[in-house]
Amino acid sequence: MELNEFVHQLDELEKQAVGELSGIQDATALEEIRIKYLGAKSGQFKNVQKSMGALAATDRPAGGKRFNEVKNAIQAAFDEAQNRASQQATKSTGPLADPTLPGARIRLGHVHPITQTIEHLKEIMGRLGFSVTEGPEVEDPWHNFVALNIPDDHPARDPLDNFYLKTAEKNSGATRLLRSQTSTVQIRVMESRQPPVRIISLGRVYRPDEADATHFPMFHQMEGLWVDRGVTMAQLKSVLRLFATSYLGGDVNIRFRPSFFPFTEPSVEVDFWWSGRWIEFGGAGMVDPNVLNAVGYDPEVYTGFAFGLGVERLCMRRHQVTDIRDLYRNDVRFLRQF
Amino acid sequence: MLVSWEWLSQYVYLKNTPDEIANRLSLSGLNHEETTAVDGDTVLDLEVTSNRADCLCHIGIAREIGVLTQQQLCLPEAKIATSGEDITKSWKLSVEAPAACPRYTGRIIRGVKVGPSPAWLVKRLAAIGCKSVNNIVDVTNYVMFELGQPLHAFDLRHVRGNQVVVRMAQEGEQLVAIDHKQYKLNPSMVVIADAQRALALGGIMGGADSEVSGSTVDLLIEAADFAPRVIRSTARALKLHSPSSFRFERRIDARQLDWASRRCCELIVQVAGGTIQNGILDSATTTIEPPTPFTFRCSEIERVLGISIPITEVTRIVPALGCKLVDEGNGQYLITPPTWRADLTREIDMIEELARIYGYEQIPENVPVPMFSSAKRPKDVVLERIRGVMIAAGLDEALTPSVVTQASDEMLSPWTDLAALSTDIALLEGATRLRRSLIPSLLTCRLHNQAQSARDADLFEVAQIYLPSAEGGLPREQCTLGWVSGSNFNTSKGILESLLESVCGVQNWKFADWSNKLLEAGEGTKLQLNGDTLGYVGTFSKSGRKELKLEGTCSFVEISVDGLLALARIVPTAKVISPYPAVVRDLNLVLDEACRWHQLFETVRSAGGELLKDLQYRETYRDANKDGEGKKRVLFSFALQSDDRTLTSQEADDCVKRIIQSCEQSLGGRLIAS
Repeated sequence: MELNEFVHQLDELEKQAVGELSGIQDATALEEIRIKYLGAKSGQFKNVQKSMGALAATDRPAGGKRFNEVKNAIQAAFDEAQNRASQQATKSTGPLADPTLPGARIRLGHVHPITQTIEHLKEIMGRLGFSVTEGPEVEDPWHNFVALNIPDDHPARDPLDNFYLKTAEKNSGATRLLRSQTSTVQIRVMESRQPPVRIISLGRVYRPDEADATHFPMFHQMEGLWVDRGVTMAQLKSVLRLFATSYLGGDVNIRFRPSFFPFTEPSVEVDFWWSGRWIEFGGAGMVDPNVLNAVGYDPEVYTGFAFGLGVERLCMRRHQVTDIRDLYRNDVRFLRQF
Repeated sequence: MLVSWEWLSQYVYLKNTPDEIANRLSLSGLNHEETTAVDGDTVLDLEVTSNRADCLCHIGIAREIGVLTQQQLCLPEAKIATSGEDITKSWKLSVEAPAACPRYTGRIIRGVKVGPSPAWLVKRLAAIGCKSVNNIVDVTNYVMFELGQPLHAFDLRHVRGNQVVVRMAQEGEQLVAIDHKQYKLNPSMVVIADAQRALALGGIMGGADSEVSGSTVDLLIEAADFAPRVIRSTARALKLHSPSSFRFERRIDARQLDWASRRCCELIVQVAGGTIQNGILDSATTTIEPPTPFTFRCSEIERVLGISIPITEVTRIVPALGCKLVDEGNGQYLITPPTWRADLTREIDMIEELARIYGYEQIPENVPVPMFSSAKRPKDVVLERIRGVMIAAGLDEALTPSVVTQASDEMLSPWTDLAALSTDIALLEGATRLRRSLIPSLLTCRLHNQAQSARDADLFEVAQIYLPSAEGGLPREQCTLGWVSGSNFNTSKGILESLLESVCGVQNWKFADWSNKLLEAGEGTKLQLNGDTLGYVGTFSKSGRKELKLEGTCSFVEISVDGLLALARIVPTAKVISPYPAVVRDLNLVLDEACRWHQLFETVRSAGGELLKDLQYRETYRDANKDGEGKKRVLFSFALQSDDRTLTSQEADDCVKRIIQSCEQSLGGRLIAS
């Protein structure tokens, strides 16, 4: 047999077999084709293989090479068809992949919304140069009242308005109470160092109040204090505006309304103009000269301002919490929203 | 404080609308709550801060409006015609409690005709929500709301023995007040009495016995000053608050007692007839000193406010407020405050007055603020890291009250046996103990969640606990981290170990035995370092859970954040990672049951020396048939590695041999060939 003829036979076989295999989708048809071309007994490939013996000895290497190429090509087409057929079979009967199924989530905990608010406040005030300080929650009357210009007969010291601790001797030097304001920390800081002082103190405070949707006998305050030479009320307004603009976003205006706190003079209530309305922020004022005197600062040399706000109120407004008690019930269905 | 627009117009010309005035008042210190229309009149509700008792009456508010709108004030003169014998001839006043009642005055009116009030008086009182009683009582109320001085009219018939005594009540003394409720008094309360009995609760409410009735003919009109503290404590103790007590608690102007008394008598005669007897019962032996003047420096305005106020405004506002102003030159003035402004005694007080009248809106909100350095404290860094680990471990943060019930306090107190401090009054129902541990609070929350069918409430909290000191005084407040979870002992301890490593790096921690009646045997441990205890881990036993009503496994950890802070690795430092290969080996040893992992760990570590880089526990199992009773097999693996060379297999084998030998010698271990 001529080499040409042998190669031609192979070419035809390849064209035919690959063509037929490419259209195959199911296993039954594939098996028929396998027998037709690759069958061990009378497959067409077998027949062509037989005729290779009729080639001249010098043509055999070239013929053999072409034979192998065609064999590989048909086998590849067959494998592919088989793959297709088996996939087709799976599609119609077996399990199907579903990438829309939920992934295996990890269980993450949640930071309490009050903590988140406190961290937010610390971050903003930190950028404005206020350092975080803290002090004890169980206080003596000096730090909670006297040094804050709250004299002995002041209503704020009423036993029914404070959580005094049980002591063996009443009205002795051992009187202690749960602090009713974080201003106590101002005193402790000023007693321990000289101006300039630019600090915030954050923490729990305690006041006897019937718990309802807007009151809780324990809550959190942030108190800010800046004492130095030449600190003015205009700077108080400006610092609060910087704070409000950072906290609320957008441009915020500040309004002062006169108020009364024993430890500041002048004292004001602070409102923020934001989104077309006035929002109550908290109390503020210039540190009363009596307070500066109490901690040994000369009020003729130094002035300062202080401001305080309730953390709960900011937190509740920000996260649309309507009942303060939800913050302390610690129902996980509540906590996991934050 | 409710204020009638018509009533105000008696004292000051109101050229603005009620809304404009309400707004001006809000921005100058009297916060406007609401405006209502009552019977053709307009009523403003204004909030008066506790320092401004002078604004608890119409004249006070009119005075503020006068200053704000630059109008003159027109005040009633209170002229009275008196006749007859001077009352001091036949009546005796003795104030036995001058501390509680610094000044007491009384006038007598005879021959009044008690009856309904005239329409104008009824209308005035109705506008501010005060019900008309009769013409006498109405006048006393009217004058109180007019000039802020509470007054009381006694039916003179019932004041026995021609005697008025102001004294402290006797223990257990009873009084039926005009609200017809009986009150039990004690010696902290001041009463107005006659020769025989208490007639009125001083400064708070009159007594039913001596109240003015239809048959009353002669009156004793009281105008007095009572000590704020006495009135406050009495009103609170008896839960009896009146417009009178409200004003005395905030201090009245004792210098206007006589004016108020005359005004009251004038109006009573006008509406009920009668004649005012000559003379007055007055406890004051000397005239009260006028207010003390103080120096005011105009330069202080700018130093405090950051703006200056024109001198013309200063000299307009200060007198308008009722102050006397004397120019001492060089921008300095001597200011004498008016009698009704007890809050106005210092230069700084005057600066506030000027600021609020001149207007806080004049203060700019965009002045330069110098920069200042501030940085996160180590504690903030540690707390952030702690919360990060807790959240990664799937725990939710809780915040619970610091004061707990006795039952909660006594449930568990790992840190101290000293009794908890307690408060006089409860924070919440029954909660008077300052907590010594966070765990009971967190368990309460877990139980609350359990009741809501949320059985997976794994909660942590960072808060103070209050550890009493044996010497008394302030307690030690320890910042503490606690958590409770449905995990077993091993998992909770694992979270703790991860936390310790994250915060403090590698330390020579010890876990010592710790037991408690609520805990599973062998599942309690305390964390120690150099002998100091830093925390506790435990799992509740079945009986403990039953006692606490906990469903399912529950373990807890409590650890001192202060303790961790002292050891914290705030800024981690890098170590060179060895580029040489590590040899990893597993060993399986038969050991006595009593031999603890910690002992094995220390033995292997010291035998391995500096080549030992990693030592991991794998598992423990027991095979009594092969090893006999009281033995266990512990499988562990370790890595050997040098920082400066590749270990030869000889070196590695020698090291492993040393480890095995050491385990055999010190622990009696036996190697199982794998």
